[in-house]
Amino acid sequence: MSRWARIGSTLFVLLLLLVALVPGWLAPGDPLAIDPAEAFQSPSPAHPMGTDESGRDVLTRVVHGARDSLVIGIAATALGMGVAIVLGTAAALSPRWLDAGILRLLEALYAIPSLLMALLIIAFTGPGVGPAIVAVGLSTAPGYARLVRSQIRTLRHSEMLQAATVLGRGTLLRVRNHLVPNALRPLLALITLGVGQAVIWASALSFLGLGTPPPAPEWGAMLAAGRTYLHLAWWMSLFPGLAIVVVAAGATMIGRALGGKVNAA
Amino acid sequence: MGTLRWAAGRVGGALVVLWLVATAIFIGVRLIPGDPAEAIMGGPGSQASAEALAAARADYGLDEPLRVQYLMFLGKLLRLDFGTSYALRDPVLGIMGQVLPQTIVLSLLALLLAWVLALVFAAASLRATRVGAVLGNAVEIIAAAVPHFWLGAVLIMVFSSTLGWLPAVDNGTGAGLVLPVLTLALPLAGFLTQLMRDSLSTALASPFSLAARARGDSRLQVFWRHGLRHAALPALGMTGWAFSSLLSGAVVVEAVFARPGLGRALLSAVLSRDIPMVTGIALFSAAIYMVVMALTEGIERALHPAGVDS
Amino acid sequence: MSALISVQDLSIGFASDTVVQGVSFELHAGQCLALVGESGSGKSVTARSLLGLSGGSVAAKRLSVLGSDGRKLSDRQWRAIRGRQVAMVLQDALMSLDPLRPVGREITDALPHLRSRAERRRRAEAILGEVGMDDPARRAKQRSPELSGGMRQRALIAQALVNDPLVVIADEATTALDAQLTALVLEQLRAIKESGRAVLMISHDLAQVAQLADRIAVMRAGRIVETGPAARVLSDPQHEYTRTLLRAVPSGVPRFTPLSVTERHLPVERAEPSGTPALVATNLGKSFSGHQAVDSVSFDVPRGQTLGIVGESGSGKTTTARLVLGLQRPDSGSVSLLGEHFAPRRESARRALRQGLGAIYQNPLGSFDPRYTAGALLADALSRGRTRRVAGYRAQVSGLLEQVELDPGLIDQYPSQLSGGQRQRLAIARALAPQPAVLVLDEPVSALDVSIQATILDLLDRIQLETGTSYLFISHDLSVIEHMSDTVAVMHRGRFVETGPTAKVFGDPQHQYTRRLLTALPRFR
Repeated sequence: MSRWARIGSTLFVLLLLLVALVPGWLAPGDPLAIDPAEAFQSPSPAHPMGTDESGRDVLTRVVHGARDSLVIGIAATALGMGVAIVLGTAAALSPRWLDAGILRLLEALYAIPSLLMALLIIAFTGPGVGPAIVAVGLSTAPGYARLVRSQIRTLRHSEMLQAATVLGRGTLLRVRNHLVPNALRPLLALITLGVGQAVIWASALSFLGLGTPPPAPEWGAMLAAGRTYLHLAWWMSLFPGLAIVVVAAGATMIGRALGGKVNAA
Repeated sequence: MGTLRWAAGRVGGALVVLWLVATAIFIGVRLIPGDPAEAIMGGPGSQASAEALAAARADYGLDEPLRVQYLMFLGKLLRLDFGTSYALRDPVLGIMGQVLPQTIVLSLLALLLAWVLALVFAAASLRATRVGAVLGNAVEIIAAAVPHFWLGAVLIMVFSSTLGWLPAVDNGTGAGLVLPVLTLALPLAGFLTQLMRDSLSTALASPFSLAARARGDSRLQVFWRHGLRHAALPALGMTGWAFSSLLSGAVVVEAVFARPGLGRALLSAVLSRDIPMVTGIALFSAAIYMVVMALTEGIERALHPAGVDS
Repeated sequence: MSALISVQDLSIGFASDTVVQGVSFELHAGQCLALVGESGSGKSVTARSLLGLSGGSVAAKRLSVLGSDGRKLSDRQWRAIRGRQVAMVLQDALMSLDPLRPVGREITDALPHLRSRAERRRRAEAILGEVGMDDPARRAKQRSPELSGGMRQRALIAQALVNDPLVVIADEATTALDAQLTALVLEQLRAIKESGRAVLMISHDLAQVAQLADRIAVMRAGRIVETGPAARVLSDPQHEYTRTLLRAVPSGVPRFTPLSVTERHLPVERAEPSGTPALVATNLGKSFSGHQAVDSVSFDVPRGQTLGIVGESGSGKTTTARLVLGLQRPDSGSVSLLGEHFAPRRESARRALRQGLGAIYQNPLGSFDPRYTAGALLADALSRGRTRRVAGYRAQVSGLLEQVELDPGLIDQYPSQLSGGQRQRLAIARALAPQPAVLVLDEPVSALDVSIQATILDLLDRIQLETGTSYLFISHDLSVIEHMSDTVAVMHRGRFVETGPTAKVFGDPQHQYTRRLLTALPRFR
């Protein structure tokens, strides 16, 4: 990663953490405070991002929404990656027949588009934040699992590990000194990319009314509310959407700088 | 590997995948706490009548042992009998027949547009200056990071509400398709541009491109004869994934633009927990994915006979 | 007779770098001029500038290409010259023919002036026939990956010759080809020259050039350091660098005679090999899905000696190496190391024996963990994987670096930051760390420039004399094998077709395959 990319991504992550951990520092207001008299104010110095149908300040809500959106995104990625690492590693290290079996299963799961899979899971569990995390996590897992599998397989058959065998290193040393550390870096890139995608998917679920319920300040839910008033108050839709784009694009850039490919999931 | 063996393997693989999907759904329905009949009829909140529940029980053989239920379930699927939608009270297959073409047309147009846009951008980036390259890179990443539901809203805001050029809702003229197709295509074009630009620049820097120039080909000829094929191949390999992501996007886009289609049907089925409908749609989209995969692999085999098996 | 191509004071620059400077030469009909130099010498860029394809900014007092002033041509005018009057054959047909297009189309692309498609096709098939392709009509419809190496090379030459050009530029056209394909290409180039056309041969290999060139120009760092008739340059080189290059050619140089200028002569004192051989392979066999890759191969490597295995690509020599190293389980036969049973055997049972067996690969970079520095790699090897910290092993690490003549200052560099020669030295140092009795060297110098190759071969010689390590030396390069081996085995289609003392196999080959191989061995001493 180049120096500028490193500085830029560190700053980006720090800013995001700050916003998520101490939202009150940037936006001291109450994201849920209703003030009907102030409804549908267009952006102004008092309300830089305007107000919504109940007179709540959009900036305050966008800032406070960061935590929800990020927590869902990170939790979903952690779940999906966890499943993917277990399945992918198992497949890569198993005998051929088991590998083929796991691969078939992954293909079956991959055959259902991610959002459809997420909706399918919610059809069984009912809507909510928890189900959204599970749905996004599980629906992205098959794609990641296939990548993890091929990643580990490539490493396993690499000249590097063969050289270690020839030098007389046992399985434990080969895995500990070479396989795991070399697999981690691309995984880190993949995880970063994954968080960006998960934030989009999770907000899509909220947008469809299946994730975080209103009036919580979640970006997807805010967009869903803003859609009704699109002609009246464009700012209600613009700013939460921009927040999603910034987070997803930022994650993509960091992931790419770490050497990840975007077409992963 | 012979073409016949390949085709047989593909069909067999697709059947296995569909069977796995069906089995997963069968298990999923029975994992829901409470009465499966209630789950089928929309969950405890649906307040289905006693007769309806009894009908569902009989229909799904819920008083039979699990093994028999499973075989009945598979048997029905084999006869393309997906049951009756609880919410719409019509056979699932009939409803699918109405909504599927809408979504397929939307997705195919978006795929086509994304391909064209990606090719144009990838080709344009070849001649870009340093600043242009950085800018292009940023646009790609942002395009790929834009959620469909927001992009749709922004496009409606700009082209429909403000400029009034295009309708936000389909009025039957086809103009209503423009914004939904754009919404679906732009993020995908972002992904594909990255992919195509990489393979395009690799191809044009390859010895065979130099050899072509040394034969007297112009730059443009090298691009058409060699660059395009090499750019298309990896993007083609991603078509299965791309189509699958378009179906995901269609759920959102159909909601944003209030269009009928598979995604809309799925969304309302999920909201009303209409299990037969959900089952049908899941199997259909898996089948679509398998068909697209087989088609793209077939095209790849034709383009690059030596490369696919290795 | 006036020159077809005449270049005077040619300079080519990229941004702020000048990669070619003050280069002058002439090329006449029926003549072959060779531009010889190592990677980075500017020879390829020079050749490409004759087609207007150098990609850099070109300046010259004269750049005359068949009477046209190359300094003033537009791209459209260049295109009338490219392929029609001056054609180019590039290295490696697999990459120089588009793998996604039928080779016939690659040829007809060069015939836009022929109106009818049928006529273009007829011409393409005719030229394929002329370069010795069997069944040209069928081959023209196939893509390069579907063709065998020989056919591919013929197709590549055909697409250059289809317009009957007056000048043919062969840019490393024989590099990375095995002996028979090299002979095939050289024969084609000779035919071109003898038909009265001019050949400009770009190569790093003086020995190969010697077989065809009438004149040789030696390039280094963008300049021609010496030029003259081939026979004179080869027999009586004037410039120091030419002498270095010539001396680096291993062909016909006796064992342990240094190839590099810097290496001093060593006293060769070797005990007659005695006792158990260091390595014994008995009746090794291995097949992959029905294809017999290695077939009843037996050999032994006496202590302190070198067995060279020479063969073309696909002959099974690398599989043999993998069987010996225990990376693949043989279907039949066995390997023993220092009298102990080594393969086939459970990995845990033979792990202790592995200290006695090291390996060097063609591309050492792939065999290094990219997260380790040079020092860490050696510490890891010395500590048997317990640590990558140099601290506890500083003396031994410097000892190894000194043994392979690697600058101690490189200890904190990552392998990816090292040059090809330095990487191979590091690989040798790592393999030597456990003080092995046998080194398996699989194409250890094939990716290196000749002068670097010479220093590495000298280093291997010195290590063998100092430590008595036995080598199993595998290469496709006959001259390297001849220089390095005490005993030679010629491998063909999975079998050893001939085995014997090096002088005997090279001087009086018995098997007809060996004889055919040796006809391609360049001799100019």
